[in-house]
Amino acid sequence: MARFLVLIYDDEQKWIDGAEGTEAAMQAHGKFSTDRADSIVAGEALEPTGTATSLRRDESGAVNVTDGPFVETKEALGGFYLIEAADLDAATELATEIPAPFGALEVRPVMVFS
Amino acid sequence: MGSYVVLLYQDESRSDHMSPEEQADLLAQHGAFQAKHGSAVKIGDALQRAASARTIQVGDGSMAVTDGPFVETKEALGGFYMIEAADLDEAITIAKDVPAPHGGVEVRPVMVFS
Repeated sequence: MARFLVLIYDDEQKWIDGAEGTEAAMQAHGKFSTDRADSIVAGEALEPTGTATSLRRDESGAVNVTDGPFVETKEALGGFYLIEAADLDAATELATEIPAPFGALEVRPVMVFS
Repeated sequence: MGSYVVLLYQDESRSDHMSPEEQADLLAQHGAFQAKHGSAVKIGDALQRAASARTIQVGDGSMAVTDGPFVETKEALGGFYMIEAADLDEAITIAKDVPAPHGGVEVRPVMVFS
């Protein structure tokens, strides 16, 4: 089995506003978490990007700390699942059950160090 | 205690060109970080390059699966740590020790559902 990170990118304002579809998505997350518990290593929702802090080291080696996300995107990373699957196809198949009503999902293989 | 995710962003045009020695050195730096903050670090994984990702977009009754990341950014998500800290300040202090030579990190609180 291999590990995959499923990144959930969504228009976070829709979630903040509780737009139509958020309730159904919450229920779908609950169902996915229950149905696929055996395949889920971890899964978390993140607080909105307004709560983010970014750290970047400058040339002198000092760390600059700034408020806000590291990368500004229209659809922001809002949560993730770390899952186990036989291969990318199986991981993709599993991920299609995860709701992302205002954006999309990205499935990324985790690196294996031997 | 709260849970925080530390997102590692890197310029892949730089990280792709590390020598085997530089790769081994970076891996050793992550090992040192994990050793120093072992009690705070819950999970951590490196991701394969963004190009290895698959994106899933669900519309009204339709679903599109495409190769590649959902979000194209100069600095791509390259890994993450899930950490536990007393508060955001402590999380930032820990995150300052995360090696990210080709970009930087973002610290984001994990949502708590009561």
